[in-house]
Amino acid sequence: MATDSNGSSKLLYWLRVFSIGRNPKFTLIRIAVLVATVYLISKFVLLPIRVQGPSMMPTYAENGVNFVNRLSYRKSEPKRGDVVAIRYSGEHRFLMKRIIGLPGETIEFRYGQVFIDGSPLSEPYLTTNYPCRWTIPPRQIKPGNYYVVGDNRTMPEDLHVKGEATRERIVGKILLCKSLFVSSPSQR
Amino acid sequence: MQKSIRFIALAALIALGIWGWRTFFPSPERVIKSRLLNLAETVSFSANDGNIAKIYKADKVGDFFSMDVEVTFDVRGYTMSRTFNGKTEIKQAVLGAQQNVQGLKVEFLDINVTVDPDGENAVANLTAQATVSGQRDFQIQELNFTLKKIEGKWVITKIETVKTLSMLPSESKVEMKLASR
Repeated sequence: MATDSNGSSKLLYWLRVFSIGRNPKFTLIRIAVLVATVYLISKFVLLPIRVQGPSMMPTYAENGVNFVNRLSYRKSEPKRGDVVAIRYSGEHRFLMKRIIGLPGETIEFRYGQVFIDGSPLSEPYLTTNYPCRWTIPPRQIKPGNYYVVGDNRTMPEDLHVKGEATRERIVGKILLCKSLFVSSPSQR
Repeated sequence: MQKSIRFIALAALIALGIWGWRTFFPSPERVIKSRLLNLAETVSFSANDGNIAKIYKADKVGDFFSMDVEVTFDVRGYTMSRTFNGKTEIKQAVLGAQQNVQGLKVEFLDINVTVDPDGENAVANLTAQATVSGQRDFQIQELNFTLKKIEGKWVITKIETVKTLSMLPSESKVEMKLASR
């Protein structure tokens, strides 16, 4: 009988250690610090996002998870080739696009080939499986704006969201080259 | 111990006071936000809604707008822009949507409200997300709502689409060409 009660009290003790730790006060502090750290990182440093829509295929598959690095443009300006998050009216929804034109440059599409200031732009991130046939006459990008477009240029040109984004709308650079946890739509 | 209990009670009382003040005397920004969220809910409908409920909702939508409201939708992918003038046209558009799709869920996200110093006019910039029942993807569009305080009630006088990415003039021409076909 004594052994039984001893055993159950030991079990209770280990259950307590497992759930709230040896020192509940420290466990509480640790939880608070962890929650605060995760909140601060996701709010001010790395913003988790889920990719929706086909415009960045095949680079970023639909339904994958990625992160926006908010600090990437604190000390430097966005560069050509960067994949960035562009905000709408706030930060619950973003556009995910690639920068191909910088402020003041003249951009043109000729049968799918991009020309910057009259010179063809090399785009190694585009695959031959996704051919482009767009033709857009040359236009100068406004100062302070960046020309952004998705990697999936097989889409009809008028359905593909692209254009000039103001600098203040660019929230940050996409952290990972490929999305994580890509699931099929039925698994959502 | 006594001191800390008093401190906690005082903090709780202050929090309750702030909550009560905000609830019973909301700022115009809060009133407008809540009204817009209410509009999104009213425009939404599901396949399970009965015909009477749908008609009631379409009728209720009119309460959110002024008589001379002007709504202009110029959405990429849809080759022509669409303008609705007046409450009646909006009600008809809602009824039409109810007949054409099984269900529609409209959400207004990230609502930023700016009230004029006179307190009678306001502009709300928001992101609208629309999901049609049975479709996997949703539509997102940034919108600007212009509101006016009429007889103590905030009503929408104008809705315009915002081009989050400004198009090059050539692209607008392409869309205009397609629209004229």
